[in-house]
Amino acid sequence: MSKKRLIMFATVLIGALLQQLLPGWAVFGGLKPPILAALALHYALRQNRREMWISVFTAALVQDGLEIGPFGPALIAFPLFGWAANRIHTEIFSDGFVTQLIFGALLGVFTVLVTMILYALTGQRPLTLGQVFLRLSGGFWLGLFTLPAASFAAKKFASLFPERRGYGWQ
Amino acid sequence: MALRKKRIVVAAVIFALLLLAFVPMPSFTNKSKGVVRTVTAPAERGTSTVWGRLSEAGAAIRGIGGTAEKNRDLSQELVRVQAELNRLRNAEQDNVRLRRAFKFYNESPFTMVPCDVVSRNISGWWSTVRLGKGSKDGIAKNRAVISPDGLVGKTTEVSPFTTEVLLVSDPACRVSAKIDRLENGFGLVRGMGSNIKGDPKAKMEFINKDVEIRVGDEVVTSGLSSDGAFPKGVHIGYVEKVFRDKSGLFQYAEIVPRATVGLLDYVFVVSKKEAK
Repeated sequence: MSKKRLIMFATVLIGALLQQLLPGWAVFGGLKPPILAALALHYALRQNRREMWISVFTAALVQDGLEIGPFGPALIAFPLFGWAANRIHTEIFSDGFVTQLIFGALLGVFTVLVTMILYALTGQRPLTLGQVFLRLSGGFWLGLFTLPAASFAAKKFASLFPERRGYGWQ
Repeated sequence: MALRKKRIVVAAVIFALLLLAFVPMPSFTNKSKGVVRTVTAPAERGTSTVWGRLSEAGAAIRGIGGTAEKNRDLSQELVRVQAELNRLRNAEQDNVRLRRAFKFYNESPFTMVPCDVVSRNISGWWSTVRLGKGSKDGIAKNRAVISPDGLVGKTTEVSPFTTEVLLVSDPACRVSAKIDRLENGFGLVRGMGSNIKGDPKAKMEFINKDVEIRVGDEVVTSGLSSDGAFPKGVHIGYVEKVFRDKSGLFQYAEIVPRATVGLLDYVFVVSKKEAK
């Protein structure tokens, strides 16, 4: 396995542990900062398609695997968003702060929306109109703040293990 | 040809994802989630321990800061002693807490498995905690989880080394309950999530309209659940508000499930239905 992938897996694992440690905030509908979703998007915006799929599915499997209920919310939301982001990643400034804010907010709302639809269709979670509004706005704000922070942390973490440059036979 | 192949693969993946999301496959889901949880369990346990140590260190540092502000002229030695005192105070609190848990374990009439809470839920959509013990330690699905403060919830998904606990405050958790003071004050306690302050809430529904409920009445488990998951007489909480159902046929009461407020590090899973 390549070093790049190992770093990516380690980042996702650390992200999952951190996401579990952080408290859910009642003002955001009890939601937690979507660190795993942000990491999946971080890689989707910077890697080739193959790496994007690996990172997105790893993050989704970890998130759904650590959640109760059937697999689904993350396994549907992350690949969809990752695929869309990866398609346009050469046309945008992936490292731009404003780009990250916009993508983070969109990611937050999208993941909440997909989860909500899935839970409503399968009848797993009762949802009131107030909760829908609270969670959508919670997803917006949490995504907005989480993506730039998670992206910055992931880049710093990766820079701890610099790629060894090839100097030919020497 | 290649494009067609690719389309078939994409369609197959989408189909598999939708199948996973919408068709309940408890055995497959449990097994695959067990793999994820078994892989992450050691890291979670380590993180939980480190987090506990960091919290203790943080408390000690806060103690130093506060003391230094109040007593600028105090010597370095005094600050060190105060920090030590803070540390000892934390240790004493831990001691009291563990003694209480131990006493509860010894005096409880149920056969219980003591477990440590290794992590909370990951997304905030469910009110759950994960325990560091699983089916290898004799824990099964649908068992009551209790603490010295009362009912915490019930076990839902059990893997060999971890157990997911659905808290009483989760809307999916339903417990047959009764008002302890009354003979016929039966009802169903259902979680309501948490309020804006983050405190867990629950509601006791379908209480006979003719019984007189008072604010402050104690709510306990009735032991009448169909699967026998919850033993009788376990404290759930106290009545905070009483309302009448829209139809006028029933009353309902809002309660605060105390055991889920600032949940302890240690809980007990009732391993057998019968008393020990």
